[in-house]
Amino acid sequence: MDLTGGFGARSSGVGPGREPIGLESLHLGDEFRQLVTTLPPENAGGSFTALLELPPTQAVELLHFTDSSSSQAAAVTGIGGEIAPPLHSFGGTLAFPSNSVLMERAARFSVIATEQQNGNISGETPTSSVPSNSSANLDRVKTEPGETDSSQRLISDSAIENQIPCPNQNNRNGKRKDFEKKGKSSTKKNKSSEENEKLPYVHVRARRGQATDSHSLAERARREKINARMKLLQELVPGCDKIQGTALVLDEIINHVQSLQRQVEMLSMRLAAVNPRIDFNLDTILASENGSLMDGSFNGTPMQLAWPHQAIETEQSFHHRQLPPPPTQQWPFDGLNQPVWGREEDQADGNDNSNLMAVSENVMVASANLHPNQVKMELISYKIHIRFEAMELDDQINIFCVETSNPSAVTKSEYPSCRCPRLE
Amino acid sequence: MNTYNMVKQRFIKKWINTLHMLDSSIEHPLNVTERKNAIRLSSDLAIAAARSGATVWSRALISRSGNKTTNKPMARRILKKARNRIKNRCSTLRRNGNFTAKVGVRKRTELLKSLVPGGELIDDKDYLIRETLDYIVYLRAQVDVMRTVAAVDLVTGNLTNDRRNK
Repeated sequence: MDLTGGFGARSSGVGPGREPIGLESLHLGDEFRQLVTTLPPENAGGSFTALLELPPTQAVELLHFTDSSSSQAAAVTGIGGEIAPPLHSFGGTLAFPSNSVLMERAARFSVIATEQQNGNISGETPTSSVPSNSSANLDRVKTEPGETDSSQRLISDSAIENQIPCPNQNNRNGKRKDFEKKGKSSTKKNKSSEENEKLPYVHVRARRGQATDSHSLAERARREKINARMKLLQELVPGCDKIQGTALVLDEIINHVQSLQRQVEMLSMRLAAVNPRIDFNLDTILASENGSLMDGSFNGTPMQLAWPHQAIETEQSFHHRQLPPPPTQQWPFDGLNQPVWGREEDQADGNDNSNLMAVSENVMVASANLHPNQVKMELISYKIHIRFEAMELDDQINIFCVETSNPSAVTKSEYPSCRCPRLE
Repeated sequence: MNTYNMVKQRFIKKWINTLHMLDSSIEHPLNVTERKNAIRLSSDLAIAAARSGATVWSRALISRSGNKTTNKPMARRILKKARNRIKNRCSTLRRNGNFTAKVGVRKRTELLKSLVPGGELIDDKDYLIRETLDYIVYLRAQVDVMRTVAAVDLVTGNLTNDRRNK
């Protein structure tokens, strides 16, 4: 389908070279425009399945991903012991600690699974990283439900998923998904894992001084797996570290999930209340070509700088229900404060200068309510961001995400300023 | 950091798609509650789609959401597909070692099963925990993105009103 192809091509293009705060090349802003404008017409029911199978399955992308993941795996295992996730009090605020490493670990788990579930075929890279993670395979081999159902051949017990063809390398790939914390030093070798692909039995090597009874081995393997996962869950859920015992940890996890679900409910209510449209300008927000969402350290402020521009366009697009193609903007910037105040704002939007001035005026309007320090920060960040060109969608989203991943403490400090009183 | 951002990116992409789809297939005008339901539905579908249906919770979420959109025949197809996979999943999970569950843990796992979509179908506690972990990651991504978008909307709304009032 056209959508699938478009997504695949684009994502594969940026996959290998993507950096979180990449300022580089990419200029396929119009590609995103295309995507967004063609999307509503193509909105037949057929696109829903395309939606689900959308993630790209490029071998190169996977290759790069596995490279980075394996190196990260080593790094994380090394420092896994001493990572103390910052414990923020969970009750009072809605701020989640930015346990970047933990989220990364957990998310990598799911991402790897997603990647390889989509039928990747590259297998040479994973083999190098498998020995380091083969210890995890000990437990992995036995029960393998989960994300890798379509590609994981190591479900030695299950005979059901055999109909999906997959090369052997994929299994090794699938085994790589683990919580790197679990660096147990069992002596399981690769070739025995290969044997497991064909045999219905699990070959588990017992450690010294432990019973070799098959039942106890299996039970031990399961117990260790459960404990490791509980530990990781403990770290993921804030405030869980100090709790001993499975029941209490489960309590915390349940609370966490419940609160997250409630938050989603509230946020969707909020979004619904603000916008009369369902697809509330999310696409215009992301199609903002100025890329002012940069630089996570400036959190809320870049948003305030970017959105004034959007406010101008949004008014027009509001009634037309279509997206104005975002003009590429170069913002040569010389000095912010005084000259800007005097400019006119009622010029055509197509004019770069007028856009700049209107934006600046709005910035001034918005920042007049802020604390002077914040104003200064805004000006500084404004200057820094001023040179960005139209960015490709993935980078925009990247930046968007980088921004949101910063500690919400900073973002929350922007909230009061968001509700600034109207200026006359 | 990289990977969590990638999760959020995938979520945003899917969310744009689902919003568009929902917007064109739902008759207007809507009141606030219906809008909220539509937004919630679209974002749930987006996180499930971002997970690509590889986990039980994502498929269960899709099937659960499919019930709410009656005018989407495609959703029904997905629903069938999801149901089948969930059935297969159930039978493979039967083979476990025996594990001893204490009463408190037992009750809590039941509760957790009710929270995580599709959790009731999972027997293996270990697998349930894995599903929960995955689900939490995506839930958090959803919350983060929605919160940011809501804040942005607030700012935009204020500024737009400022301009209008002048």
